[in-house]
Amino acid sequence: MPLLYPLLLSSALFGIGLYGVLARRNAVMVLVGVELMLNAVNLQLVAYDAWFAETLHTGQVLTLFVIALAAAEIGLGLAIVMAMFRATGSIDVDEADRA
Amino acid sequence: MSLPEAVFLILSAVAVASAVLAVGSHQLVHAALWLVVTLGAVAGCFVLMTAELLAWVQVLVYVGAVVVLVVFALMLTRSPTGSQSAEVTRNRPLAAVLGLLATVGLAATVIAGFRHERITGRLPGTAASIGDALFREWVLAFEVLSVVLLAALVAAIVISRSGSENR
Amino acid sequence: MIRRWPYVALTAVVAVAVAIWAIPELDQRAFFGYVPTNATPTMLPSLSLDTRVLPDSAKVMLLAAGVTLLVQVYSTAYMGKDRRYRSYALLIVLFLVAMIAVVATDNLFVLLIGWEVMGVCSYLLIGHWWEQPQSRAGAMKALVVTRFGDLGLLVAIVVIGQTYGTYSITGAWVGAADQGQQHGTAIGLLVLLAVVGKSAQVPLQTWLPDAMPGPTPITALIHAATMVAAGVYVFARLLPLYGNDTTVMTALAVVSGVTMLLAALFALVQHDLKRALAWSTVSQLAYMFAAIAAGAADVGISHLVSHGAYKALLFLGCGVVMHAVGTSALSAMGGLRTTLPATFWTMTIGFAALAGIIPTVGFFTKDRVLESIHVATHGETPLPGGVAWALLVVAYVTVFVTAAYAMRLWMLTFLGLPSKQHVEPPSMTWPLVALGVACLALSIGEPLDLDTAALSTLVALAGIAFAWWRQDADLPGPVQRPLAAELGLDHPITRLIPAGTIGVARVADAADREGIDVYPRGGAVLAGLVSSAVRALQTGRVQVYASVIAVGAFVVVLVGVIAR
Repeated sequence: MPLLYPLLLSSALFGIGLYGVLARRNAVMVLVGVELMLNAVNLQLVAYDAWFAETLHTGQVLTLFVIALAAAEIGLGLAIVMAMFRATGSIDVDEADRA
Repeated sequence: MSLPEAVFLILSAVAVASAVLAVGSHQLVHAALWLVVTLGAVAGCFVLMTAELLAWVQVLVYVGAVVVLVVFALMLTRSPTGSQSAEVTRNRPLAAVLGLLATVGLAATVIAGFRHERITGRLPGTAASIGDALFREWVLAFEVLSVVLLAALVAAIVISRSGSENR
Repeated sequence: MIRRWPYVALTAVVAVAVAIWAIPELDQRAFFGYVPTNATPTMLPSLSLDTRVLPDSAKVMLLAAGVTLLVQVYSTAYMGKDRRYRSYALLIVLFLVAMIAVVATDNLFVLLIGWEVMGVCSYLLIGHWWEQPQSRAGAMKALVVTRFGDLGLLVAIVVIGQTYGTYSITGAWVGAADQGQQHGTAIGLLVLLAVVGKSAQVPLQTWLPDAMPGPTPITALIHAATMVAAGVYVFARLLPLYGNDTTVMTALAVVSGVTMLLAALFALVQHDLKRALAWSTVSQLAYMFAAIAAGAADVGISHLVSHGAYKALLFLGCGVVMHAVGTSALSAMGGLRTTLPATFWTMTIGFAALAGIIPTVGFFTKDRVLESIHVATHGETPLPGGVAWALLVVAYVTVFVTAAYAMRLWMLTFLGLPSKQHVEPPSMTWPLVALGVACLALSIGEPLDLDTAALSTLVALAGIAFAWWRQDADLPGPVQRPLAAELGLDHPITRLIPAGTIGVARVADAADREGIDVYPRGGAVLAGLVSSAVRALQTGRVQVYASVIAVGAFVVVLVGVIAR
C-alpha cells in the first residue's frame, strides 16, 4: 500500500479540523475540530511507524500517548466550557470576553 | 490495486466526507455523530496499517468516551439544537482559506517526500508487541503521562466545582 | 544678629596666606614673557594646578587681598544689618579666591575658570539687592556683556593651545620665544575682545556704570581690586604671545584712547557721585591699556595697583558719604568737610591721586604711563609712531579732564555750608585711613621724569583751575546734553541688540515649530496610523487570534522552504 494514501488522508483531515477550529461559533464544536486535527497527526504517526517498521514502535506508542492526552484535553476543555457557560450563559466563543 | 488498498481508499473517502459534515453540520448533535463516523473510519485505517491495538484504543477512547463526553456537554449546556445554533463566525472565509492552505501545503510536502514509498506491514502493532515496547522502552514517558492525566482529572474537577460554588 | 567676625577672619586668613605666598616673589628679577631655563611646559591637553607668580602678579595679588580684606571690614558696618550678609560676605571671599586663581595660575583653563567665577560673583553681588529692578537689570547687563567678551577668551585659549601645543602660559611663552609669535593677530584680538568686556572699555563700557545699584563696597571691590583689574592683568600676562603685532597694539591704542577721553568727559558731567567715579574707573583702566599698547606692561600693572588703592579709597569714602547723606546724588551733598572729617581728609588724598597731584602714588604711576607713551612715539615699539603721538595727546587731554572732574566732585561733595551732623562708624573710617596711607606710602621710591612731571602737573593744575572757574555750573548745553546722555552709546546694547536677538529668536522659534517639529509630529501621526492598523487585529475574538497564529506558522514554513 502506498505510504501516500494515509498521509494525504491525514492532510485532508488536518485542514478540515483547522477550519472547524477557526470557523465554528460553538465552543464544543471548536473542540471537535481539535479532535480532528489530533486524529490527522495520529494517522501520520501510525503510517510512518508501519512504513519504518522498527521494533520500538515509536509511532504507535506516541499515538497511544496522543490519544491519552487528547482524552485529558477534551475532559479539561469541556470543564472549561461548562464553567464558561455558567459564567456567561453562553458557549459562544465570540462572547467569551464578556465574562 | 489490492483489496486492502481499495478498502483504505473507501474508508478515506468516508472519513473525509464525514469530517466535512462534522465541522459543517447545522445540527450540533448531528455534528457529534458525524465525528463518530470519522473516528471510526480512521480506526479502520489503523487496522489496514497493521495497528490493531491502536484501532481498538481509538474505538474505545474516542468513540466510547470522547464523543460521549461531547454529547453530554452539548446537553448539559442546553445548547440550542436548532439549525441556528451551529452557525459560524465572521472569521469563516479566512478559516476556509487557511484550512485549504494547510491541506494543500501538507499534501505537497508529503507528495514531495514520500512519493515512491510503500507500506509493507512487516511488524504489525499487536497488543503484545506494543506492550513490549511500551513497558520496556517507554516506561518513563508512560509514567509521566499518567501524572499528566491525574493532573488533568483534578483540574477538571476543580474547574467544575468552583463554578458551581459561585452560583 | 548675624555674627560678622568669622567672615572677616576668613578673609584675613586668605589675605595673610596670599601675602606669605606673594611677598617673596616681589624680589624676582622676572617679567611677563621671562622664561626660566629649566621650564618644562606640559603638553596638550592638560588642566593642571600649576602656579607661576611673577613680581607683577605678586603686586596684583597683594592689592586684591588687601582691598578685599578692607572691604570686608568696611562691610561689617556698611552691610551688617543686611539679612543676606552671610551670602554677601562669602561671595566676597569667593571673588578674592577666583581673582587669585586668575592671577597666579599657569594654566589657561584654570584662568578661564577663575575668570568665569568672577563674572558669576560680580553678577550675584551687583544684584545683591535683587528686590530693586535696576539692581537686577545692572547685574544682568554685567553678566551678559562680560560673557560676550568671555567668548573671545575661550576661543583665544583654544587657538593658543593649537598653536603652541600647550595650555600652560609658561609653555606658550617658551613657544613664542623659540618660534616667534604665531597667530599673534588672532590671539591678540580675541584676548582684546575678552578684556574689553571685562574691563569695560569702548564699545562694551556701559555695564560698569550700570552696575552702580550694587552695594558700594562691592563697587569698590570690582573697580579696584578684582573684576576690571583682571582684564588688564590677563592682557598684560598674555602680551608675550602677541606683543610684537602692530594690528593688536594699534587696536588696543585706539580702544584705550577713545575710552579714556570719553569716559573722563562722561565723568565730568555726571550729577551722581558714584556714577562719576564709575566712569573715572573706565577712564583710568584705559590708561593702563594705553601703557600696555605702548609696550610697557609693567607700567600698566603699576598704574593698576595704584589705581586700585585710590579708587578703593574713593568708593569706600563714597560709601560713607552715601551712608550719611542717604543718596549718591551730588545735589544732596556739600559741606561734608566738617561733619565727616576723616572721610574728607582721606578722600582728598584719593581725589588728588586721581587728578595726579604730587606726592600721591597716582601722580607717579600716571606719569610713568605718559612717559612710556612718549617713548613709544620714537617708533621703536610695534605701535606706529603716528598712533603713539595721537595717544599721547589724548592722554594729556584726559589728564586735564580728569583733574577737572576730580576737583569738581571734591568741591561739590565737601565744600559749601554744612547741612547737618553725620556720623562716621570707626570700622568704616579706618579702612579709609589705611588706604589713604597706602596712597602716599606706595609712592616712596617711584622714579620721576622731570619733563613729564612738569608738563602733567601743569595740565592738571589747568584742569583744577577750570573746575574752580566753572564751580557747579554745567558745561554749555550743546556739549553738556549729549555727554550727559553718554552719547547714546548704550542704545545699541539696550535696544538694538535685544531687538535683533528677539527677531532671531522668533525666526528660530518659528523654524523649530514649523520645520523641525514636523519630524516628531509626523512620527506621532505615523505611530497613530500604525496603532490604528494594529488595533484592527485586537478584536477580542480568539478565533481571529488563532487564525493569525496559523497564518504566521504558514508564512514561517513557506519562508523556510523558499530559503532552503
